[in-house]
Amino acid sequence: MTGLNKWDMIRPGWEQDAEPLLAAGGHDPVLGKEAAWDALRLVRGEISEEEFYQKHHQAYLNEFGADMRPAVSVGDAAAPLDEPNYLSGMSRRAALKLLGAGVAGLFFTSWWARQTFGASPEEKPPAGPLPVQMGMVVDLENCDGCLVCMAACRGHNGTPAWTHWMYVIAFEDENGRVNTLPRTCQHCSNAPCVKVCPVGARFKRKKDGLVLSNFDICIGCRYCQVSCPYGVNYFQWAEPETQVHIESRDYRGRWVAGRPPKGVMGKCTFCPERQDEEETKGTAVCALSCPHNALHFGDMNDPNSSPRRYLEQKKQEKGYISTFRLLEEYGTRPNVLFIGQRPSPRARPVEGPVPIKNMGFMESGRAVIKGEHPWFLSAFGGQ
Amino acid sequence: MDEQTRTRHILKTLGRPTPKYFIFLLLGGAGLLWFLYAWSYQLQYGMAVTGLGDWGAGGGVPWGIYIGSFIWWVGIAHGGIIISASVRLFKLEAFKPVARMAELLTIAALSVAGLYIILHVGRPDRIVTSIIPAFPWRIHFSPLVWDVTVITLYFVMTGTYLLLTVRRDIHFLQKKLPAVFAPLYRLLLMGYHPSEDKKVERMVWWLALGIILMAPLLLHGGVIPWLFALLPSMPGWYGAIQGPQFLSIALTSALGAVLLIAYIFRRAYGWKDVLPDSAFRSLGSALALFALFFLWLQLQQIITGVFAPPLGVEESTAAKLHQPLYWAAIIPVGLVLLYLGAQWAIRSIFSITRTVVAGVVAVLAVFLEKVLFVVEGLMEPGFKLYQGVPGSYWPSWVELSSVVGAFSFVLVFFLVVAKVMPIVEVVEEEAGASDGHREMAELRLRTTPLGLRRAEK
Repeated sequence: MTGLNKWDMIRPGWEQDAEPLLAAGGHDPVLGKEAAWDALRLVRGEISEEEFYQKHHQAYLNEFGADMRPAVSVGDAAAPLDEPNYLSGMSRRAALKLLGAGVAGLFFTSWWARQTFGASPEEKPPAGPLPVQMGMVVDLENCDGCLVCMAACRGHNGTPAWTHWMYVIAFEDENGRVNTLPRTCQHCSNAPCVKVCPVGARFKRKKDGLVLSNFDICIGCRYCQVSCPYGVNYFQWAEPETQVHIESRDYRGRWVAGRPPKGVMGKCTFCPERQDEEETKGTAVCALSCPHNALHFGDMNDPNSSPRRYLEQKKQEKGYISTFRLLEEYGTRPNVLFIGQRPSPRARPVEGPVPIKNMGFMESGRAVIKGEHPWFLSAFGGQ
Repeated sequence: MDEQTRTRHILKTLGRPTPKYFIFLLLGGAGLLWFLYAWSYQLQYGMAVTGLGDWGAGGGVPWGIYIGSFIWWVGIAHGGIIISASVRLFKLEAFKPVARMAELLTIAALSVAGLYIILHVGRPDRIVTSIIPAFPWRIHFSPLVWDVTVITLYFVMTGTYLLLTVRRDIHFLQKKLPAVFAPLYRLLLMGYHPSEDKKVERMVWWLALGIILMAPLLLHGGVIPWLFALLPSMPGWYGAIQGPQFLSIALTSALGAVLLIAYIFRRAYGWKDVLPDSAFRSLGSALALFALFFLWLQLQQIITGVFAPPLGVEESTAAKLHQPLYWAAIIPVGLVLLYLGAQWAIRSIFSITRTVVAGVVAVLAVFLEKVLFVVEGLMEPGFKLYQGVPGSYWPSWVELSSVVGAFSFVLVFFLVVAKVMPIVEVVEEEAGASDGHREMAELRLRTTPLGLRRAEK
């Protein structure tokens, strides 16, 4: 018998004949061969019927999901017929195949989606020289909180009373020092508002790095407002009383400038309509209006721009200057640089030299309802 | 109780409506009309009619009770389908009688949640035209798009789940169902053959598996809390705990809501046998467990927020702890836990009414907590230079009307569905009994879970 394996005891050469047949069935060929061998032993009377049925019972369950041979009830506690647990009824191979297919599918879908759609073109950093990135250098040592910039911005953009695209924050730190800080949109290089916008209405303009809202597609979910650490977004809560009076579309025809329509989010834009015109390029209305030379607007990546030259000049004059950006710890990479002392973490707002309410601006963000009050509110004296 | 008596009892809901039924229908209808009026008012005058405002210099909150309600209803929906799926997957026999109610609740609550998104946005007219074209690339970035995607997915999965299980019942009952809806039944039964039952069983099992796996990874432990937890700008929101916290809220509120609905049906139709005490007892015990989880996770946040927190977290925690409404949410959940826990230990103090009251208290308490979570988070931003800007938030009558509208919708939904289809599964799962094990086993031999026919090769 040397040189022969047990399959050859069935019939010499049986294994070679049986294997392709078993493989064609799509099932475990080893199990098939073993079962055949044991069937032979059963016929020879070497094992009992009960032993035969029990021997491969578990293997049958794993392979076929059931074992319908007569003695199935013998000693099998799992009793798979009563338990609709389809995983245990599955062969290991099928389960692994399924798992593998699932994982492969996930990887493929994600790869495909990335290839097909990728990051929006606006968000891909361009190669080569530094891109144009409009921004501002704000000299807090010059700002005295006169609020002229706020009035100029409002006048230019026609924004309603409750919005402060430019907002001058007067604050006091724990040492009693009061200072003012003009807060525009920071036009971040890694803007959370751009990231979270569900419709891509908020975008970063590749041409000059402005973060803008497309008023034509914004759905007004206010997620940008919630995600922005600086609180620069102002929603159009009602039909604004003022009319649009500036050309509000940018060079690509997108409605991004001026005040947004009802139900849409707006914020400081850095005057895109001015950046698109050759004569006014590199200027912003608030910076132009500042009587104290505190706001310097221009390309932050260009050493010859107005903010960069101002910064250089100030450094040379004073020898050393302290600069900071707001809330850099959030990783937003803001493009507004402040000259002066960073407000301490415990600094709190106070009334500035010119109170905001004196300017005729509303203190609260609550909008004025222009429509009629419903009868039941008037009846109960509510508002 | 034999099968026939049980079926007869279940079919009671489909009978001729009583005057009481019409009173409830009128109430629900009136609530819905009132809501539609409030909504039209908001559409006409803009979001200014809400109590919302701009945060920061505006001193208000841009997200309020609409978003709070949205996450609460989504939580109920997700919890509901988790209850139903766990009946199939984990053989939770005690929840079996309420499984279909939980599925129906999921459909109703998901609809309400979707409605809240439409209510919340400033330009509902643009939802379709803006979201769909931007979807393929925004899905990579915006958690809000993840939300929309997963909610849609769950809507489809739950709808499929319900449809698959209800077809067998409708076929089984056929002649006993009200003839008025015959066209609807024909539509639902399109292409039905009794031999599909086994296959359907298998499909439903896989759906249940998918639902259970996705619930913590993607859904109420995932994209819904990520709306908030991923934003470092609001220290009250940011952090990894929101996932488990939201999931605990989803299950607490779903169990409470199912308790209430089951109780109403039991009262209305005298279903002592269809909805036995044991179902209420088990729902109550599960509710106690998730109330415990909820409180535990709240405790985690409070302790980390007061011991040695960074400034932003310190101030948002302090604001939360000084807010009486916060305690108005936490203390009731604690009491619910105490009562339901005692009931679990001392079985003699069990009472269905008290269990249901505990459930309702828990549901309302987590609603309050959820709205507060949204509002307080925005009231305490990380940018402290705004702190102290005057402003507050209280929902306006328009926003409160939406709450009335949401409840009215769910009421009307259940009133209508109860007259159309059995509200409890008639044909018990694994009803193979009549067909015999043999047929089932043969089928198993021929098919695998993947539906590959093997023996035929």
